[in-house]
Amino acid sequence: MLLFFARQGAAAWIAHLDTMRLFERAFNRAQWPVAWTEDAFNPRPMLVFGLPAGVGIETRRDPLEVTLETPVDMNCSVEKLNRLLPPGVEVVAWGEAPATKKSLMSLVKAADYLFEAPKICRAFEKTFSSRPSVIVPWARKGQVKEINLTPRILDARKITDDTLCIKAGAGSENHLRVDLLLEALVRDGGLSDESAAGARIIRERIYGDLLF
Amino acid sequence: MNESGAFAMKRFNSPAYRSMLRSVEKPARYVGGELHAVDKSDRFFSLAEKDRVHFALCFPDLYEIGMSNLAIQIIYALLNRDENVFCERCFAPAADLRSYLKQRSMPLVSIETMTPLSAFDIVGFSLHYELAFTSVLEMLSLAGIPLYAEDREENSPLIVAGGPITCNIEPMAPFFDLVMIGDGEFLLPALLEIYREHKASGRSKTDFLRSVCGMDGVYVPSFYKVDYHDDGSVKEIKTADPCAPAVVRKAVVRDLNLAPIPCDPVVPNIEVTHDRMILEIFRGCARGCRFCQAGFTYRPLRERSPETLFDAAEKLIQSTGCDEIGLLSLSSSDYSHLNQLTRELLRVTDAKHINLSLPSLRLDAFSLQLAQRLAKTRRAGLTFAPEAGTQRLRDVINKNITEEDLFGAAKTAFENGWDRLKLYFMLGLPTETEADLEGIVDLAERLLLLWGEIPKTVRSKRLAVTISTSIFIPKPFTPFQWERQISIDEMRGRQSHLASGLRDRRVSYHWHAFESSVIEAVLARGDRRLAQVVENAWREGAYLDAWHEHFKWEIWRDALTLIPGGADFYVRERREDEIFPWDHIDIGVTRDFLNRERKRSKEGRLTHSCFDGCAGCGCDVWQTGLCPAALSGRDRSTDREKV
Repeated sequence: MLLFFARQGAAAWIAHLDTMRLFERAFNRAQWPVAWTEDAFNPRPMLVFGLPAGVGIETRRDPLEVTLETPVDMNCSVEKLNRLLPPGVEVVAWGEAPATKKSLMSLVKAADYLFEAPKICRAFEKTFSSRPSVIVPWARKGQVKEINLTPRILDARKITDDTLCIKAGAGSENHLRVDLLLEALVRDGGLSDESAAGARIIRERIYGDLLF
Repeated sequence: MNESGAFAMKRFNSPAYRSMLRSVEKPARYVGGELHAVDKSDRFFSLAEKDRVHFALCFPDLYEIGMSNLAIQIIYALLNRDENVFCERCFAPAADLRSYLKQRSMPLVSIETMTPLSAFDIVGFSLHYELAFTSVLEMLSLAGIPLYAEDREENSPLIVAGGPITCNIEPMAPFFDLVMIGDGEFLLPALLEIYREHKASGRSKTDFLRSVCGMDGVYVPSFYKVDYHDDGSVKEIKTADPCAPAVVRKAVVRDLNLAPIPCDPVVPNIEVTHDRMILEIFRGCARGCRFCQAGFTYRPLRERSPETLFDAAEKLIQSTGCDEIGLLSLSSSDYSHLNQLTRELLRVTDAKHINLSLPSLRLDAFSLQLAQRLAKTRRAGLTFAPEAGTQRLRDVINKNITEEDLFGAAKTAFENGWDRLKLYFMLGLPTETEADLEGIVDLAERLLLLWGEIPKTVRSKRLAVTISTSIFIPKPFTPFQWERQISIDEMRGRQSHLASGLRDRRVSYHWHAFESSVIEAVLARGDRRLAQVVENAWREGAYLDAWHEHFKWEIWRDALTLIPGGADFYVRERREDEIFPWDHIDIGVTRDFLNRERKRSKEGRLTHSCFDGCAGCGCDVWQTGLCPAALSGRDRSTDREKV
């Protein structure tokens, strides 16, 4: 099954692995017949997340694929699961898993984000309108890579002066890291450090092949 | 969303709060919002102020450590059952958040409602190791609460403590208004009820302390005055208040089946140190290993019935969804219904992919078969704790393990393909000589030989033996409470002796840093004069001392110069008739018994366990559990014969 879940409040401040464990336990509590991998040494419940969410990012509709051993009444099961999830985490929709051999992760192509921070729209405009590319350094495993953010931003919309909606590349290709975007807005757009650190970040939805 | 969620959610709308969370590692340590976390703000705060007791349950270490602790879960569930009580949690902030708060002069707040600790009625610390003492001071200081009880005003919260090490709390005595000794399950709710009556009638703190100081398990440090000899040893412990009893007896839960098991524990959103459900199968220990403080202070041995435990296990599995359940006790093999309990538990856990873990198993055939059964596919190493390298020294410490036990167990383990063996030893035990160190090396070598003799068809491809040593720390209320701790030079010498002896590449040697063992030893048998040392160490930056990376030896060494003789004064051998700083505490086990045990240890004589008859430790005053009066007419049998 494909579930879409939202997380906010305390639950938005945990890391991806913790989110996985949180769902594993919730499925146990709600007694979902989750299938397990055949691995003899380290069997795991079969859960796949579409896109990890970083610490401090709220989500509204992130996909999560769960393989069940036997079919269940989804209305009842989701209702029960929601009752047994920690506050702030909720399954908001569900459907059949995409009929493809590809992994859920490889289907993900883009995501909508909402940023709330004082004067963020001006900072965004200042950062991106005057230059053909916005390059930021990204340090990982001791190496520093240069990342061009411009092609990763597919669309941007001002909601209010302080609320910015962005459609960005996501998944294995062309992925936009929102922390890098905020860094660029501070460096090139005059967003204050304080505003960046206090920004509210919401992933509104994820787009991908076969994901409705 | 439930009612608790709505309140807890508000804080996340604040940019300042989000900014704080983004500036620290693992912000989930501080945000709460876990399954079963209690937030009854609306109802609680609508009660009249005089009718409610707001309790801050504090653990002086990080969230991951505190949330692994059963005591925290027990107290949290227990206190929140009372609608007039709201128990919230607070843990020591990691170094990053601590600096953040200090730079901005922000107070330390509770997890559930972000209430500053200074606004609670009672702030209670759960104390499990001496190296957490400076963290208590840091938490009080971050909260803006005066450290010393005598400096606190009437409107300041009552600062209390409980936990296993409060049997000698003297180094922290001036900081606490009240200290609980023994089992807290019935004592704490009773205290809060009396507190509420006092609060409602507007009586003073001192009034409250006077009215409860006669209860078993209640120790009010300010009601006692300590005089010292010129050499620094205790001359006299006098009562300083007419209501205070001369001796404080610990609180005991007589029937453990009546002590509530937290079946809806808070389920952390992040991985904590011991990330599993915990089921305490019995309390106390019948064995009497002479170095083990818990083995004496938790007496008498009291079991929970297998029915109680099985019922609790099913509820825990249902309510938490965790994938591991651990049975907790000081010696799992001694549980009289172990076979029945594990058989019933395994039937449930196997079907649900749940691991059952059983620490503290003894070295016998039954335990090994059980370990074998539990390991399934995920095969962890086997751990044995012979504690000493020779039979002579094992007899001195009354550790009833023979070489036959050890080698018998190892042989069975090797034959069943176990490939990792871990052995725990202590260095610096009373009467230890070089021969005992050689004994450890010898044991390791003979284990390798034994493995070599096992047919290749059944044994593992490789073998890894880990030898782990810690430094012996003489603790109050043990037969070794009179003994000295070896010097740092001796520690260094013995460790390097072992390291040079253990040369086979299949054997790895692990040891603990020894400086922190010295401080632990100083504090464990410390007196009130050490309060200024703890304060000084904390002022110089000591914090989270139980963490290897935070422990700063130089700070402690310098702080100890405040006391003539320094650390040496505390780690020395004590005179037989010396008054101990903890002599006004009655833990059940008598000083006479401990002294007899000490003499027997010097003669290398074993003392049998409570299972084989009463050794006369003194705990039969409670007439419960295994004690002869409680057992008379009842037969103690175990179901261990068959698996």
